[in-house]
Amino acid sequence: MRYRALSGIKVVDLTHFIAGPYATMLLADYGASVIKVEPPAGEGARRIGPFRAGAQAADRGALFAFLNANKLGVTLDLKHPRGRELIRGLLRDADLMVENFAPGTLARLGLEPAELLETFPRLSIVSISNFGQDGAERGGLLDDLTLFARGGWTFPVGERDREPLTPPGSLAQYIGGLYGAVGAMQTVIARDLTAHRGQHVDISLLEATVATMIYETVAFQYNGVLRERAGRRFAVGPFMIVTLKCRDGYAGLQCVTDKQFVGLCDLMQRPELVHDERFNTALKRMVNNDALLEIVAGFFLEHERNWLYREGQARAIPLVPIPSVAEVLEWEQTRARGYFQTIDDPALGKIKVPGAPLRFHSHPPEAIRPAPLLGEHNRQILGARLGVGAAELKSLADEGVIAGT
Amino acid sequence: MATVFEKKLRVIDLSMGWAGPLAGQMLAEMGAEVIKVEDTHYFDWWRGSLSMGPPEAQPIERAATFNTANRGKLGVTLDLLNPRGIELVKRLVADADILIENYSPGVMERFGLSYEILAPLNPRLIMISMPSFGYGGPETFSRGYGNTVEAMAGVTGLARYHDNDQPYTLSNALGDPVGGLTGTFGILAAIYEREKTGRGQWIELAQVEGLIPMLAESILEYQLTGKVPAPRGNRHPYAAPHGIYRCAGAEAQAWIALAAYREDQWRALAETLGAGHLASDPRFIDAAARKANEDALDSELNLSLSAIPAEDAVKRLSAAGVYAAHVNSAPAVLGDAQLLERGYFVPIERAVVGTHLYPGAVARMSVTPAAQEAPAPMLGQHNGEVFRGLLKMTDAEIAELEAAGVIGTAPRTYRKAS
Repeated sequence: MRYRALSGIKVVDLTHFIAGPYATMLLADYGASVIKVEPPAGEGARRIGPFRAGAQAADRGALFAFLNANKLGVTLDLKHPRGRELIRGLLRDADLMVENFAPGTLARLGLEPAELLETFPRLSIVSISNFGQDGAERGGLLDDLTLFARGGWTFPVGERDREPLTPPGSLAQYIGGLYGAVGAMQTVIARDLTAHRGQHVDISLLEATVATMIYETVAFQYNGVLRERAGRRFAVGPFMIVTLKCRDGYAGLQCVTDKQFVGLCDLMQRPELVHDERFNTALKRMVNNDALLEIVAGFFLEHERNWLYREGQARAIPLVPIPSVAEVLEWEQTRARGYFQTIDDPALGKIKVPGAPLRFHSHPPEAIRPAPLLGEHNRQILGARLGVGAAELKSLADEGVIAGT
Repeated sequence: MATVFEKKLRVIDLSMGWAGPLAGQMLAEMGAEVIKVEDTHYFDWWRGSLSMGPPEAQPIERAATFNTANRGKLGVTLDLLNPRGIELVKRLVADADILIENYSPGVMERFGLSYEILAPLNPRLIMISMPSFGYGGPETFSRGYGNTVEAMAGVTGLARYHDNDQPYTLSNALGDPVGGLTGTFGILAAIYEREKTGRGQWIELAQVEGLIPMLAESILEYQLTGKVPAPRGNRHPYAAPHGIYRCAGAEAQAWIALAAYREDQWRALAETLGAGHLASDPRFIDAAARKANEDALDSELNLSLSAIPAEDAVKRLSAAGVYAAHVNSAPAVLGDAQLLERGYFVPIERAVVGTHLYPGAVARMSVTPAAQEAPAPMLGQHNGEVFRGLLKMTDAEIAELEAAGVIGTAPRTYRKAS
């Protein structure tokens, strides 16, 4: 899907891998014109998977194809003087430049943020980096594993008697990307509404990760209680938020309120538990959580997760089967809402990708456009827009300053 | 320096919990005037519960979660089951830019506050609804919260140890913060569009649809290989070592995460831990060998690390170019040197609980920095200010509303919905 809300916003996108590209993907999904500028070798995500079984398309991992849909693509060697000149041509009428290089890289490329903001007063720059643009560790290493660990997500997850369990995938990088998209919109609105000039936004992935852990950092100061790993329980408390084995897989249960507890007793056909001295207040359900969990876990084990799901929801209990990603893709809810979009990708063929996360009801969305091939829009952008002639495009390609079509 | 909005944006926040309130809180940081509207009977459940014990022990107003997610807002109360309360919501909305709600579908309609009813009162209104599964589809009316939205997006199913089938809920009810952030982006995009068209609109965020994109890699892997991706636990598909290991010292401070993706990193790692012999061990001689013998590798590393304090190990490994981090608990996050150096946490004083550090604004804006000094409001704290200032009520009218139970500053006993 592609909405038109942000049409008119011009973005020069120097990002790579996940956090930066997700930020500019959101901008592109909602209508901004995003020109992705890659080095002639292509950005790194082109060469990471997932790939179609048995066929490793040289410049096209599927994650790249998702994260860069709806963008235009040019190549430019920013270490080459002509490359630097041409990028300035793109920045001249841009509203945003988004980048997630290591701090200091822009300056080395002759794109020092303070100077760019001076030269192009309407331009804002969004920088997403591991630890932020300053501080002793600004150049430090970070991957998903160490980001989750350091940001506090990992410590409370897993079994009490073994090592903590890291969250899956690259979730925190996407959250960094979301903050990037929010920061980008803040600059544009501030420029038009109050500040009347562009600015630099500094986003640290570590801080973005910590920001979502309010249970931890603030609650610990309030009560001094260290949140320990609680196994299949989300945490120890006057609630039951738990992942439980069923006859055919696992289900997730969130039983927090008195009403949900009454509903759960009804679901288990154990109405007497409502008045049981051990469980008849939230406080007692906290004290006697183990005893209650034993009863609930025993019940879940005897039933199928989709039956539990239906019967739980019928009693207004937030109870869900825990689906695999394959089941999410096939989920009737996503089908009915037309959520997954099909990209007819020139290299990968048809792939289904998650749709734009918000629905704007002011206008119908347009069809998604595949991510650019390497340098696909060189002629359109560098040629037609910046006035680089055909002969020069050829010599730039010969010199390796640009690559692709 | 000025904020983004400089009070030129008014937000009515009817939301509760985390997702909706986070969007309101971020707009408050941007300098919007955010008015949080609660019912004295059904106030934000994150404010605390009345069912936890005797009145003197009531944890209301002492919840870290509420006090974090509602910073910078004005707090008013209105009885939403009373027509006079609804009338006053409409008056507030008529003069507002943004309305945030995260009720289940149908609730706003029952209040008589659907977008169709509100838009004619204020064509510039941008309303965002943030239900768990969206308006439309068989799950429209299904119940969801942060943790169950996280499960339905596919996250929980991937959160397992490599050697055990049990899935785990993540530590932060991920559907909520992702919903709040995605919603904030949507609101800002709609504001931009309104500046061009002059018109507001209704935007809809199914929270689960904001979270699913973050699993794109696994969703695509399944499509392209035909296989459901196996949970990785702390391991990596082709790199080893990659995991969480126990160092010397007390358990809560002893865990570190480390990873080596290249051969030079692996050799540096082994040398740094005083276990250079592992680098030449045939079982660990290259990535394929280390993956094949990963249990043995992990045992060896746990053995080496058991003699080294975590802080020391992380420092030495990082200096050697290896990915390494302490597995931070809450106090460790609060004491993280890089976060401290950048002044990430901000001290805020609030009634009842005193002064604490709260997570600061993530986007550091060079020209329009965040406004983050104001605490979360007490229940109904700004009734007078808002109703007098904004709705031009007299003190007598406000007193009458209070006497009639339409507004108030104390929780009221639960009652049956009419």
